[in-house]
Amino acid sequence: MIEAHGITKTFAGRRSGMLKRGSVRAVRGIDFTIPDRGAVSLIGESGCGKTTLGRILCGFEEFDRGDLVVDGQSLGSIKPKDRAPYFRRIQMIHQDPYSALNPTKTISQILADPLEVRARQLDADGDWLTRRRAELLGLVGLDPDYALPRYPHMLSGGMRQRVVIARALTVDPAVLVADEAVSMIDVSLRLGILQLLRELRDEVGVSVLFITHDVATARYVGVGGELYVLYRGRVVEQGSTDTIIQQPVHPYTQCLLSAIPVLRGIEQAGREQVVPRGPLDEGAEPPGCLFEPRCPFAAEDCRAAVPGLGQFGGTEQVHACLHPARRSVVATEVANAS
Amino acid sequence: MARLARATRARGGPAPEPVRLEAAVAVRDLTVAFRTPQGLLPAVSGVSIGLATGQITGLVGESGSGKSTLALTLLNAVPHPGQVTAGSVTIDGVGDVLSLQGRSLRRVRGASIGYVFQASQNSLNPLKPVGKQLLDLGRSHGVGDLRQLLRTARTLLDDMGLDAERVLASYQHELSGGMRQRVGIILALILNAHVLILDEPTTALDMISQASVLGIIRKVHAERHLTTLIISHDVGVIGEVADRIAVMYAGRVVEEGPTPEVLASPRHPYTRGLLTAMPRITGDIAEARPLPGRPPDLASVPGQGCVFRPRCPLATQACAAAEPPDTVIGDRRFACFVAAEDTP
Repeated sequence: MIEAHGITKTFAGRRSGMLKRGSVRAVRGIDFTIPDRGAVSLIGESGCGKTTLGRILCGFEEFDRGDLVVDGQSLGSIKPKDRAPYFRRIQMIHQDPYSALNPTKTISQILADPLEVRARQLDADGDWLTRRRAELLGLVGLDPDYALPRYPHMLSGGMRQRVVIARALTVDPAVLVADEAVSMIDVSLRLGILQLLRELRDEVGVSVLFITHDVATARYVGVGGELYVLYRGRVVEQGSTDTIIQQPVHPYTQCLLSAIPVLRGIEQAGREQVVPRGPLDEGAEPPGCLFEPRCPFAAEDCRAAVPGLGQFGGTEQVHACLHPARRSVVATEVANAS
Repeated sequence: MARLARATRARGGPAPEPVRLEAAVAVRDLTVAFRTPQGLLPAVSGVSIGLATGQITGLVGESGSGKSTLALTLLNAVPHPGQVTAGSVTIDGVGDVLSLQGRSLRRVRGASIGYVFQASQNSLNPLKPVGKQLLDLGRSHGVGDLRQLLRTARTLLDDMGLDAERVLASYQHELSGGMRQRVGIILALILNAHVLILDEPTTALDMISQASVLGIIRKVHAERHLTTLIISHDVGVIGEVADRIAVMYAGRVVEEGPTPEVLASPRHPYTRGLLTAMPRITGDIAEARPLPGRPPDLASVPGQGCVFRPRCPLATQACAAAEPPDTVIGDRRFACFVAAEDTP
């Protein structure tokens, strides 16, 4: 189990020179829990801090304040150099499987390198590596006889992403962090990767942190899991994946869901469409709710103070809106579509 | 290259027939092949498609399906080592685009056909502000009144909800992805092109910017009475904006028709498979299935029979023997033997 408490990250700006810019508050105090075998999805538009949060979790980025608890160990209370074994429990699946694999190595070598280290750690015998390699490829749905002798360029994007996942599994991680893991994969093969991430939760007992701007994909990985909607580094709505998609109450979540294209002929747009007032202004620091400047339903009190997360208005999910309201923004399936 | 392609066609096929122009753009039996170490391999193979005047046509296909090559052919801009080996492209008010070259071709690009490139941030000059690029465009097309050009650009930018002065003074890196995409659309339309081609216009954008760019495309399309072609790998995008949808697979248009009808009752097994494989916000998760196999590349397209056969759940003996012809029903068509048999 992984817990994050009040994680905060600010990227420093440059005070002088040609490329002067202000500091960016990427993550502003986020709490979340990834249960064993669980699925947590982070959604939001670009700049909401979801990628930074994923990178912090993998140890690629240090957090300024807050704490990460991995397998019961608080990482905030130990020295950064002692954190490596804990971060090894958390493996990143990158967006681009075309650049995540060494083009000069065969799949066999790509998997053997980390497995050799693992074999020493486990004090395993010589056959273990070969068996484990085939087993891992089987787990991700690849035929070892086909994949092992091949180079990455000989595989499709979907197969490559499966190799990346198999490689991540070599170190027996507790969590896979998948940041837009299907956006570079051919459309007809995306679902296979999403299903694989879901199956691995049951078969290997690994948890998945799924980071995306595409709410529909989160629906496939995050079955029975939690969905966190991020806006400018804060959680604005959080609950079970189905609840958030079917009954969002925060206007920002409603904007995200309204923006999903409607498949005419099969789907019918939701009755109400919520569109933000203007684009995201990353420089603005409103005194109250961060979404207030773009919120079509903003009231006077929204400018007064930062709303905290809670279940105001008797909602099932927690959210950070003073005026939560259900609006039917999500498309519905047209009856009698074949 | 264009000359060579013309010569090949003159030798190869019959002279192109005169084209009915209820379609603003008519593509006839177009084959575009690339010279590779394995020989001349077609990326687009015998494609015929009309872009109906005043409609938005959506071209959907996976990587390697030939959709971008087809779109570039509409500009007579097939990249080396590709060449048009057969067919014609006729554009209303322009004529046979493939016979144009040099100055007349340059004039048509921009003045008649506006093209918004995939990843438009890469098609903007990083060293010049947007306004300067706009003036360059005007000068290279011999626009006399450059002030008027800027005024038109400001109006267009205002319509798109952007701060016109700020955008014209900005370099491309100072604009967000959604803003750059809008600038791309303005550059494509500023010379009053009546045909607009957009290659993956929303691919690098997040959901909210995507929705707003799609809204803008719909708006300028209607206001300027354009004939629009949108290319995307995302059925969702096409399903939302296009009046007609054409599904491409391995260099062929395998199904085409009015968007709501094709999506509601897809006839070709590839269209059906693509819809079942698509992560959606509605529908039963348990019924979703990935398509087996992988999309073919130039070298792995089956040489004989139906190109979708290796991935098709319905494939029969007949599918291996010959390539299925188009079955036309009303204003829909599809190329599948099995689906054709099911047709009353």
